[in-house]
Amino acid sequence: MSRRGRTAINLVAILAGLAVLWEAYRAFALATGNMWPGTDVALPVAVRGSGNAQQFPHVWEPVLALGRPYRGGGETLGAFLLGQVGYTLREVLAGFVLGSLLGFLLGTLFAHSRLAERSLMPYVIASQTVPFIAFAPILVVGFNSLESFPRWSGVAALSMYLVFFPMTVNTLRGLRSAPATAEELMRSYAASWWTRLWKLRVPAAVPYLFVGMKIGATAAVVGAIVGELSAPSSQGLGAAIFSFGRVSNNSVQLFATTLVAGLVGIASFSTVALLERAVLRAYAGAGPAR
Amino acid sequence: MTSPEEAAVTVEAGPPVVAAAEPTVAVRHVTRTFGEVTALSDVSLDVAPGSFVSLIGPSGCGKSTLLRVIADLLEPSSGEVVVAGKTPHRARTDRDYGMVFQKATLFDWRTVRRNVELPLELMGWDRTRRRARADEMLALVELTDFAKHRPAQLSGGMQQRVAIARALAFSPKLLLMDEPFGALDEITRERLNLELLDIWTKTRTTVVFVTHSIPEAVFLSTDVVVMSPRPGRVLRRIPVDLPRPRDTGTRELDRYFELVTEVRETLRGAGLL
Repeated sequence: MSRRGRTAINLVAILAGLAVLWEAYRAFALATGNMWPGTDVALPVAVRGSGNAQQFPHVWEPVLALGRPYRGGGETLGAFLLGQVGYTLREVLAGFVLGSLLGFLLGTLFAHSRLAERSLMPYVIASQTVPFIAFAPILVVGFNSLESFPRWSGVAALSMYLVFFPMTVNTLRGLRSAPATAEELMRSYAASWWTRLWKLRVPAAVPYLFVGMKIGATAAVVGAIVGELSAPSSQGLGAAIFSFGRVSNNSVQLFATTLVAGLVGIASFSTVALLERAVLRAYAGAGPAR
Repeated sequence: MTSPEEAAVTVEAGPPVVAAAEPTVAVRHVTRTFGEVTALSDVSLDVAPGSFVSLIGPSGCGKSTLLRVIADLLEPSSGEVVVAGKTPHRARTDRDYGMVFQKATLFDWRTVRRNVELPLELMGWDRTRRRARADEMLALVELTDFAKHRPAQLSGGMQQRVAIARALAFSPKLLLMDEPFGALDEITRERLNLELLDIWTKTRTTVVFVTHSIPEAVFLSTDVVVMSPRPGRVLRRIPVDLPRPRDTGTRELDRYFELVTEVRETLRGAGLL
């Protein structure tokens, strides 16, 4: 069987296994009344409620909910969420592109100047040690108070904030990855710094740039959703999570939304991974296995 | 622009023979230290135009350091180096030499042809000229059929031939080679020795060749310079008077064995063997 076929079967097997575990726990908790049998110790998660307010629904219920109207009547939940995905993706795309560019520029600056690296890198690292969930509302609200920017740009800024760091680190590493003799070769040609950058270092860094962008692609989605959650936002997946989780307390729709958010993250990562495969194949006559 | 040779002739009005004999590389009392370690100690060396000079010695004798000082990739701590009548820095910016390393150092992301074109690209040659020149060089190293391949698809010996083609693409006066065949198997190495001699005869380039193989040094060179380590210095310079053109039969001549023995004796005399 082809490798791709085996991968697909493995994936289905893992998902099926998880679904079975979920259902087994649910059945067990219902049978024991949410208690460890023979004790008065509660199970970690209780199965409670009914309909849309269930705490631990059947695996298939959120999936089925996607095909049903999400309130009263009209639009299905799936169609509604698709609209929110479109809104969120705009922030993701802006955050990803700008964050990748900023990371590339910073990485290049640091590769050019040890002084810049030594003086600025600590701040770059510090920016990532601040818990970004605490920091998110400040950034989003602050950004949104600037009237010349559209509403979604504050969220995009948070997304960018998560993207630029892995990109900076990987760009710096990649630009320094060329072997010493390759650097000597370029010096033997009396090549300028720019020439060395464009003809040697950047091409040598391409596999590393893709590592940075793959991490960035998932971080951009997390950043956008957390940004939407943490600030008064009426649109996007984060806003939907907020309204189903906190406002209507509809756990089935909340699970469905989480599922969609996960798929957006996977799609975002996969898009960059596919691009990587195409570029590296055209580039080195080899796949991304390096 | 007048070359230094011509200038010397007009000013001194001496016999042109003197000007023609000006060495392509002149190393005068060069010392180079790395911190506490003396890599080169008072080394002097002349490389005549058109000659093939091998630097041989055990690891740590400074032969690669000497090559890098000539190439202006390292600066001497003291002493003077003249390359093609100029400072090494000027010679480097004038692209007077080509360099080949132990690792072929080809760029994975370029085809074989575009690797050979690299120095020409940096020198601003236009595409058509570049391409024609690269194809010419690939014919010289007999890799015409591999122009569109990626370096990773080539064997180690073929990669090294591409590196030689690249180093010679802009017809430098001088070719600096740092153990170019050191990582290859013995059979490939002997074949590339023959090819290199052929290329040297065709291009008339001056070669400085670093190696740790005694047979290789004797087979290829017009002169073998034997060096010793800690601190690196020149023990002896042995002219190689083997007939040319050299071929596989050369390695079976009595004189060849005598010269190999002479190099070996020099190393043994210094306690290095």
